[in-house]
Amino acid sequence: MLLRGLTWLVLFQLLGTGLNVLLLPMLPGPIIGLLLLFGALLARGGVDDALSLAAGNLLRYLPLLLIPPAVGVMVYAEAIRAEFWALLGALVLPLLLAFFGTGLLMQKLIERQARRRSAP
Amino acid sequence: MTPHWQAAWQAIVHHPLFGFAITLGAYQLALAAYEKTRWMLLQPVLVSVLILVGVLLICGIDYDEYRRSTTLLSLFLGPATVALAVPLYLNLRRIRQLLWPILLSLTAGGLLATASVAALAWSLGIERTLAMTLLPKSVTSPIAMLVAEQIGGVAPLAAVFVLITGMLGAILGPECLRRLGVVHPAAQGLALGLSAHAVGTARALQEGEECGAFAAMAMSLMGVATAVLLPLAVALVA
Repeated sequence: MLLRGLTWLVLFQLLGTGLNVLLLPMLPGPIIGLLLLFGALLARGGVDDALSLAAGNLLRYLPLLLIPPAVGVMVYAEAIRAEFWALLGALVLPLLLAFFGTGLLMQKLIERQARRRSAP
Repeated sequence: MTPHWQAAWQAIVHHPLFGFAITLGAYQLALAAYEKTRWMLLQPVLVSVLILVGVLLICGIDYDEYRRSTTLLSLFLGPATVALAVPLYLNLRRIRQLLWPILLSLTAGGLLATASVAALAWSLGIERTLAMTLLPKSVTSPIAMLVAEQIGGVAPLAAVFVLITGMLGAILGPECLRRLGVVHPAAQGLALGLSAHAVGTARALQEGEECGAFAAMAMSLMGVATAVLLPLAVALVA
């Protein structure tokens, strides 16, 4: 079960990689794979158990999978230290703006839509 | 005969599974610490990275060797990205109901995220290469690395900025959003996915299926839009 789902996920990633080289050099293979799988699910009209099992298990460990690339920070410690405060500002302030801006706007729009629907 | 302590230690430390083992260990330790304390600052990814950098420095292993010994993990990052299509599809009905709020928030949030980086990098006097490396920091690392290279930045450093951004976003998390009155899981997911890509999406998935699905959607749309539009915008401005 798990293996069958995993096979599908890997196949879609490989398909994405192929298309990345052939047609879409600006989109990475996994993202193309995501869009293709989403399209396939739409076309089929459902998610089978094997796929949903594999996806659920893999996504549970997503934080773990992100750790090795994150450790790469150590290689650039020197470059980061050199411009530390400017970088900190340019990293943190836009994040705060985008993070709270998007959240607040979406919350307000959801509330407005709900009010409109409940109004006669 | 004296036991060869040194040789045994070297054989363990430089075994191709050593990086894999310490990563699994550090992650479980970090996860346990987070679950016990529930401190926002103790995000498992951040704590694991700190532990691992310490261990690697003590054992005298460079990043290249560590990266090679964790190929087993990084190989699965691709299929895991593809797997995000599943929660996305399962929440399609919720997404359709909120189509206009989603499109408006994503467009506004995406523009805000990228334009504010450009404005700050310029006003803080960050040099051009570094600024170009900062611009795609809100998107998932494979896209950010590609885009950074296209617009004249440094790809591996872009991945670092992406991850720092992601970890900061995960630290802020749904807790800070709730305090500002952002209580809808869709709104929380959108904010996490848009500004903190995969790390934010992983955090959102812990919160629940719906929150995770909206984060995955925000992350992929923001990624696709950045990949297509940012190089064009930079070409137009420069």
